[in-house]
Amino acid sequence: MNAKNWVAAIALAALSSTAMAGSAWAFQEAPMLTEMVEAGSLPPVDERLPVNPTVVEALSVGEYGGTWRRAYSGPGDRWGPTKLMEERVLKWTADEDGTAVLTPGYIESYSVNEDSTAFTFTLLEGLKWSDGMPVTTEDVEFWYNDVFLNPALVPTIDPTFAPGGVPLELEVQDERTFTIKFAQPYVYFLQILAKDSTGEPSLDRPSFLFPKHYLSQYNDKYASEEELAAAAEKYNVAAWTDLWGSKGALTGWWNNPDLPVITAWKIETPAPAETVTMVRNPYYYAVDQEGNQLPYIDRIEHRLFQDPETLNLMVAQGQIDMQARYMGLDNYTFYKENEERGGYHIVPGLDSNVWSLVPNMNTTDEVLRGLFETEAVRHAMSVAVDRELINELTQSGLAKELQTAPVMGSPYYSEELSTHWTEYDPDLANELLDEAGLSERDGAGFRLRPDGQRFSLVVEANDAAHAKTLELLAENFADVGIEFLPRVIDRTQWDNNRANNDFQMHWIPFDRLTYVPADPRRIMGSDGYANQSFKWYNTDGAEGMEPSPELQQIYDLWDQASQSASVEVADGYVSQMAEIFVNQGWVIGVYGAGTVVNIVSDKMHNVQADLVQDDIFRGVGLARTQQFWMEQD
Amino acid sequence: MLAFIGNRALLAIPTLIFISFISFVIIQLPPGDYVTAYAAQLRHAGEYISPLQEEMMRDQFGLNDPMIVQYWRWISDIVLRGDFGYSLEWNAPVSTLIWDRLMLTLAISSASLVLTWAIAIPVGVYSASRQYSFLDHLFTVFGFLGKGIPDFLLALILMWLAFAYLNMDVGGLFSPEFQNAPWSLAKLGNLLSHLWIPLVVLATGGAAGLIRVMRANMLDELGKPYVETAYAQGLSEARVVWTYPVRVALNPFISTVGWALPALFSGDVITAVVLNLPTTGPLLLQALKMQDMYLAGSFILILSVFTVVGTLISDILLAWFDPRIRNA
Repeated sequence: MNAKNWVAAIALAALSSTAMAGSAWAFQEAPMLTEMVEAGSLPPVDERLPVNPTVVEALSVGEYGGTWRRAYSGPGDRWGPTKLMEERVLKWTADEDGTAVLTPGYIESYSVNEDSTAFTFTLLEGLKWSDGMPVTTEDVEFWYNDVFLNPALVPTIDPTFAPGGVPLELEVQDERTFTIKFAQPYVYFLQILAKDSTGEPSLDRPSFLFPKHYLSQYNDKYASEEELAAAAEKYNVAAWTDLWGSKGALTGWWNNPDLPVITAWKIETPAPAETVTMVRNPYYYAVDQEGNQLPYIDRIEHRLFQDPETLNLMVAQGQIDMQARYMGLDNYTFYKENEERGGYHIVPGLDSNVWSLVPNMNTTDEVLRGLFETEAVRHAMSVAVDRELINELTQSGLAKELQTAPVMGSPYYSEELSTHWTEYDPDLANELLDEAGLSERDGAGFRLRPDGQRFSLVVEANDAAHAKTLELLAENFADVGIEFLPRVIDRTQWDNNRANNDFQMHWIPFDRLTYVPADPRRIMGSDGYANQSFKWYNTDGAEGMEPSPELQQIYDLWDQASQSASVEVADGYVSQMAEIFVNQGWVIGVYGAGTVVNIVSDKMHNVQADLVQDDIFRGVGLARTQQFWMEQD
Repeated sequence: MLAFIGNRALLAIPTLIFISFISFVIIQLPPGDYVTAYAAQLRHAGEYISPLQEEMMRDQFGLNDPMIVQYWRWISDIVLRGDFGYSLEWNAPVSTLIWDRLMLTLAISSASLVLTWAIAIPVGVYSASRQYSFLDHLFTVFGFLGKGIPDFLLALILMWLAFAYLNMDVGGLFSPEFQNAPWSLAKLGNLLSHLWIPLVVLATGGAAGLIRVMRANMLDELGKPYVETAYAQGLSEARVVWTYPVRVALNPFISTVGWALPALFSGDVITAVVLNLPTTGPLLLQALKMQDMYLAGSFILILSVFTVVGTLISDILLAWFDPRIRNA
């Protein structure tokens, strides 16, 4: 393959000295596809690629071929494989320093008008579905009129696509260009699009596109009722609407090998199966910097595993080529020990979560709420935690002691915020608590609350792996006179407690701290420290609890940010939000920026190190999986 | 005899109805439903779905209907149409899911059952006839060890030994390179190299208890006068031991063989999870954890049917095997 690259490079040099820019490139394709072209079942590569394909800068130009082996835990684990090949009009990709930037996917160009109410996209010329049919704005119109606005398929439109209650509008200019219009300025639309795509069936579908030529026969606007019923029968589902949706028998990419897609790989052997396989898409629209059609890797195989120990065994035996999902940091030593035997090495990534103690600012216990609302008490609790000790003992020193604030790599990061109240100072904590009026203690040495009861906190966690951390925290808190009672409970019970506002404090990985505007609800209290206040904000005061003035400030800032005309102005507001959130200290961060373990086979290349692992950036998708390649013998 | 079978068959029907209702209700008892479990699973992996999407899913699966309506929908589908419903998690018909894994489950379970009996009966008989000999003590020790060590622990230990010291490929049924390859001698060899751990674990776990039972029963019988008479009449030891006391000592085995039937069907769940075997046991475990009610409910119903049928078969077998019962 190296010889082929070399010849290609020379051919390219020869051609480019005489040819016009871009238009007379000779493209290369994978040998497995060349065979099919010679057999006559596929058109040649120049006809399959768009006229000016998107160029993906590969870290090193690779060889074609190979099967990427990894593992999945069951049909519910659709996201692991999905994040490997998602496509968006604009996708988060990592540049050389590892910063996430928005790069165009299958569009030639895009533009945003002055007040961010209209976004225009132009599709690539010659872009095709995986069965060879062209992608045009007809597919966009099909999506808009017959899926997005079709109440049978999308009963309620997500507020992300209907800000202010008005759904987005589509205007088609020609067969490649279309404009999305909003009734009010929507500054962060592109960033949110890069994460969420365009609604149900959501994240695994490329934005704005549905293959009309394939799906119109299953849509109620084109097919008769009998035809739809027959289709439902044929695919063994209850109603024709079950054919649609992320898990639908037809539109779920995970289920249907016949579905036309524009992603780099498509499903070959669908779930449920012992080994689910994905195979390359011969019509994928991107090439590397030397004109080789991507992806390099022919197939991806996912093997089913049930027990996490089985997965560790698979890793140690060298049966995993590249995987980050389910690789726990507590097995770090085991992975390191078996690196030689398994023929792999660990490529570290950056965890974007900050593990935090989250007090419930909306707790129904009034005295406790009063204590949480006292800044001195929050300050004391934060400085009572010996973060260094916890990091050393539970994370093998691989994480950093951090406050819950935007993490490194985020545009809103500031070192000051990340180290706010993180020094370990139990004397200061004791002083602050004494000054706050909690100087009385009971027989066991624990402080008494204003109502005479012992100051005790029931702290819930849903993963037994953190029992050790909670024990250490209990000791820290006992040193300052607070009784800390850890409880590890079942996941569903835990969700219930949060939904019913029935908890005092819990221990969670606080996430969405990279690109805050993509999902600011965490900082606004949703599902966490102030869920009832967030409900109040969402329902305009109809439900929930009234927020404190500082929290209301955050809500007001967000309202202003989401309606700003430009990204700079909006970013200013978001920075202010982050500042207020951290300075108030409502959430006590303990450690974060831990190492994410990526197991990478020694034969796999182009896996960039030190990338942030976050749901907003779509996990491993940030590393541009289509340019991974494997050495061939 | 026919009246006996007919009576029992009639009694089976209300039993099954009762069991099906109870199992369906119990599966739904934990707070929340499949959608809650699914959302929790997603959250644990770092993703989320909005409450709106959760509501849509609930609507789609009919989880908002009262329990009795859901139960009726499910049971009428089974009885009238033979349709066991849809697995919410796998998004595939329940019958397909179970059927796909059934062959393998039956193969492993039957093989281990046969192996268990093949080990337990001769060893038990030997232990009894050579009581307090060295081998008897040895078998006794192994018996107690086998009974005491949990199956899955033994499986983990064997896997570790194979991985660390024998450098074998463990976990699952096939090595990755043979998984999708066509059948060949090499693939068969690979399959056997993976199967020995589950068979050893299951067979020794089961044999241990049976050896003790067999030994105890035999000791009871060997002391009886008719055995002494047989010896006095000049029959060889092998003839005496195997033709008479063994038949009586096997009675408890026969009467419980019916319960082997549902066990054959579900396999040993925890061992299969640990060894990553694609059998029906892990399917049931996962369905229960995720409150995937149709899959779990149908599975339990099938197991109950087999239990009832199995008990009936046991009774018939016992009547046929032991004339004393038949003519009572």
